[in-house]
Amino acid sequence: MHRPVPPVPKPGFFRNPYLQILLTVLLTAAAQILLKLGADASAGDDSAASWLGVAELRSGWTWLGIFACVASFGGWLYALRFIPLGIAFSLTNAVHIFVPLGAWLILGERINLLRGTGIAVIIVGVVFLAQSVAVAEEKL
Amino acid sequence: MTPSLWLLVIISQAALVGGQIFLKRAMTRREQADPGGWLGTLALGIATMTIWFLLWLGAMHRLDLSQQMPLEGLSPLFIVFGSILFLGERLHWKGWLGIALTSIGVVLVSMS
Repeated sequence: MHRPVPPVPKPGFFRNPYLQILLTVLLTAAAQILLKLGADASAGDDSAASWLGVAELRSGWTWLGIFACVASFGGWLYALRFIPLGIAFSLTNAVHIFVPLGAWLILGERINLLRGTGIAVIIVGVVFLAQSVAVAEEKL
Repeated sequence: MTPSLWLLVIISQAALVGGQIFLKRAMTRREQADPGGWLGTLALGIATMTIWFLLWLGAMHRLDLSQQMPLEGLSPLFIVFGSILFLGERLHWKGWLGIALTSIGVVLVSMS
């Protein structure tokens, strides 16, 4: 089967698609914490609007979270130009490293042994994902 | 979890997979010599992701963070299956191992 040659990004630190994925991940983690703050602010609401998440829009935290989501979208689209979707999306699992860390720093949630182990396992998984990218690029 | 909540979760996951595939298709087409129609595909992707976002906010309202995270740990797997089926992508065994480990890690984080 004929496969089109994947495009190569122009050189430059900020143009590295993996840096853009990291930025996407950091902004998404920030968005999750902000949206959680927004959801907590409207936790008692069980109206029809709340089923579509419209009730959360009354909280300023939700709007900040939406802003972080939109900002992360730019980096994500850029990365998709150069990285296969399956690998790029799996790398975004690194969000689950930064969400517990942020929840610990900002929401005061504790990181116990189990959670710490989970974070370590995710980091090992991300390393394997990165290696699978290196193998795929060698074959080209 | 009630049946309506399951339905909400399933539809939002389907919208996520479909939306990401549209986005990838748009950005791939953009790089081709004749990128005609890529903006339309991008708009379709953004529309599908907007639907996902609203449904996911609604689900988040009803699920504990500990229930959301295993579901989110599974979504990369759905995306990988989607990109194999619809985009013809391949994955090295190290990639599969990486996905398995990150998913297990997400479940461990959510159990704590």
